[in-house]
Amino acid sequence: MVEFFSWLDKPLELSTFLNMVIGAVIVLAFILGVVTYTIYFERKVIGWMQWRVGPNRVGPLGLFQTVADVLKLLIKEDVVPAKADRTIFLIAPIITFFPSFMVLAIIPFTATHIFTAASNVGVLYYIALSAMSILGVVLGGWASNNKYSLIGGMRSAAQMISYEVPLAMSMLGVVLLAGSLNLVEIVEQQKQFPYVWYIVPQALGFIIFLISAIAELNRTPFDLPEAESELVGGYFTEYTGFRFAFFMLAEYVYVFAMSALGTTLFLGGWEGPFLPGWLWFAIKVSACIFFFFWVRATMPRIRTDQLLVFSWKVLIPLSLLNLVITAVVKYLI
Amino acid sequence: MAEIRTEELLMNIGPQHPSTHGVLRVVVKVDGEIIRDVEPVVGYLHRGTEKLAEDLQYTQIIPYTDRMDYLASMINNHAIVNAVERAMDLQVPERAEHLRVIVVELNRIASHLVFLGTYLLDLGAMSPFLYAFANREKIIDMFNRISGARLTFNYMRVGGVKWDAPEGWVQDVLDFIAHLRKEMNMFHELVSGNEIFLERVKGVGIYDADTALNYGLSGINLRATGFNWDLRKNKPYSIYDRFDFNVIVGEKGDCYDRYVCHMSEIVESMKIVEQAAQQIPDGPVMGKVPKILRVPAGEYYSAVEGARGELGLYIVSEGKDKPYRMKWRRPSFVNLQILPKLLEGQTMSNLIAVLGAVDIVLGEVDA
Amino acid sequence: MSEETKAPEATKATEETPEPVDPRIEKANGQLELVKSKVVAKFGEEVIEEALLAKFQPTLVIQNERWADVVEFLKVTDELGFVYPEAMAGTDHMAKGYFEVYLYLHSFVLDMDLAVKVRTGREEPSIPSVTHLFSGVNWEEREIFDLLGVPFTGHPDMRRIMLEDHWQGHPLRKDYVVKD
Repeated sequence: MVEFFSWLDKPLELSTFLNMVIGAVIVLAFILGVVTYTIYFERKVIGWMQWRVGPNRVGPLGLFQTVADVLKLLIKEDVVPAKADRTIFLIAPIITFFPSFMVLAIIPFTATHIFTAASNVGVLYYIALSAMSILGVVLGGWASNNKYSLIGGMRSAAQMISYEVPLAMSMLGVVLLAGSLNLVEIVEQQKQFPYVWYIVPQALGFIIFLISAIAELNRTPFDLPEAESELVGGYFTEYTGFRFAFFMLAEYVYVFAMSALGTTLFLGGWEGPFLPGWLWFAIKVSACIFFFFWVRATMPRIRTDQLLVFSWKVLIPLSLLNLVITAVVKYLI
Repeated sequence: MAEIRTEELLMNIGPQHPSTHGVLRVVVKVDGEIIRDVEPVVGYLHRGTEKLAEDLQYTQIIPYTDRMDYLASMINNHAIVNAVERAMDLQVPERAEHLRVIVVELNRIASHLVFLGTYLLDLGAMSPFLYAFANREKIIDMFNRISGARLTFNYMRVGGVKWDAPEGWVQDVLDFIAHLRKEMNMFHELVSGNEIFLERVKGVGIYDADTALNYGLSGINLRATGFNWDLRKNKPYSIYDRFDFNVIVGEKGDCYDRYVCHMSEIVESMKIVEQAAQQIPDGPVMGKVPKILRVPAGEYYSAVEGARGELGLYIVSEGKDKPYRMKWRRPSFVNLQILPKLLEGQTMSNLIAVLGAVDIVLGEVDA
Repeated sequence: MSEETKAPEATKATEETPEPVDPRIEKANGQLELVKSKVVAKFGEEVIEEALLAKFQPTLVIQNERWADVVEFLKVTDELGFVYPEAMAGTDHMAKGYFEVYLYLHSFVLDMDLAVKVRTGREEPSIPSVTHLFSGVNWEEREIFDLLGVPFTGHPDMRRIMLEDHWQGHPLRKDYVVKD
């Protein structure tokens, strides 16, 4: 089975191509399931933190709540505002959604990375593709012809530009230590001497990564592009039905992808004792996701100017410092 | 290089917007995220209470007052019965006075809790909202037991209160106050030290005491500037002169001070409730009042300290059973006027922070 | 009304005559004389159309033309210091043939409240605005204009505030006919 799906070192023939397609579809289906229950998990966790019960009506323990929600969104009327830029309005959710799935190609779920393109530039690939999503957000905000959407889109652009930099630089520390941009390689490196995950030597980098990741994900306290209490819905104010679902889907896929990336870079990926690799991976990713939800339930929202100042005056210098220290230490040892 | 052409954007925030706390419309001219001009537009909830009151007997007006500041209906009730009693020189039984003070202060706590919850929600934090509302719910339940309603109580009457407290109610109030003390500590731990929250509110929306007086601000909006003015102390009404409590004042008059004042006033109100509940005597809850209330001809102005400021009532009477003219001095209406002054040159995010801190209730703004 | 049944016919409380010398009335009289004398010293007798006590409330009725000047004098004079506008209201006294605007000021210097009033005829009413003195009466004046139809001259933004712009008539006028 594993042999059948390992297409990495085979020539591109019809069968390998089919394998690739099947692999992609399986990952897609798998991620949809994960996202469904991530949303459920979020609502339950936050409900528990806020003295509520969360969804508990659809299915046992409310397990089918998200399914019902998505179904509702899919059968809703697809409204395009009369004065919107129709073409761009229609493709914006797709532009946002597409890269969110593409980045999953390089996430190594297990040691036997069946569907993983163990790309040699995995880190760069992730950063490059995740930056594309923002185009969809900006275009969607612009094309809606709604002032709230426009401001939401603009905020989003400013935020992304500011936080891509510290995010990438915090990853560079890990890349320096591992000596590779290949995510599989990075996990393998963490197994070797000195037998610690990179969260220990890269503690500062991990903190910067987490903060930037929250900002990249547009989650509280950095959810300015949506900022419900200020901008109503931000860039997706005018979106309804399945186009809205696409934006939401992209957001939650990124939550998973970012957690998976953090797990891979800093928490040793699938590596761990006793339990099988995929379970370790799932546990670590869930812990990261839980952290994001926890922060969301606790924090108020930061202001735009504070957000930018925090990135350029605090995070970027710190990540540069981290990078320099890592390089010096690595050179000395 | 040609200069980039920029345009000011005219935004209508409201009347349907998550953070305008009702049907307020704020017309904002923004340059990017910077606000250049603000104009609050009110009147979407105008029901003509003052006009209606001219055709109603004094007792019949009381339920209409519930609908003005619907977060603190008890205080509205108190404002009108207090005004009529003063005009007619009526005596209120001791037990009724104590019950009034208890429900009014509990309602003030409930109203402040709503402020804290919604304010934090405006700033993007969702959990404090639910914590605040869970506690408010307990107060509402107690009001339900004493008055039979959860929001529009219609509890007070000229000369007393409608219902005596049910068995064990006063003890439950005391238990609740003890419980709320703990809850407030939790609220402090969750919110008061939060860096992001402090960044958002400190130094935002500052004005000084002179400006506040010039704008006729009252309540916490005035006290946050450090100006000591509380009608419960300065123009004592009811039996407030018997209780030991402090008037909370701020220092700088920014949004943070307004938040702190709300938090501390809850504590002070808890003190008053405790004292009133401990001292409450037995006896009737309704005094001797004429069957049909006729306020002697003349003009009367009297005010109580509402949850949002001075809640005044101006009555012109011709000696009939209905007022000739009844004007409500609504604190939210007066307080809202300062909004444009506070917002010019601020960012969009601050609009929400400042508007939330001014703490208006649209039912009261529009009457 | 069930509370009426609870309170039987006894109306003795209101029938009691007040004591001959009520200290509150004396105090209020003193305050009224003080303010009145200052105003008269500055503007002359004729600006005060009436000075009375409404229960315990010192009240001055000011001549329409000098309204803004007198209010300004009350505000800026150090020994008076009526700096805090508490309330403002307008009333239609149809039988007496005028509109009356009521302004309730507080002085922290004298620690007293003062009600000042101004009247204007029901035909072509007009009252000088005091918005430039108290920013807080801006909306109150707009509300009076909206509901009572008294325009304030010198007001920066004299528009309707509660009702729609195309509303016909002013509801708080006593001759306003409520249509279905």
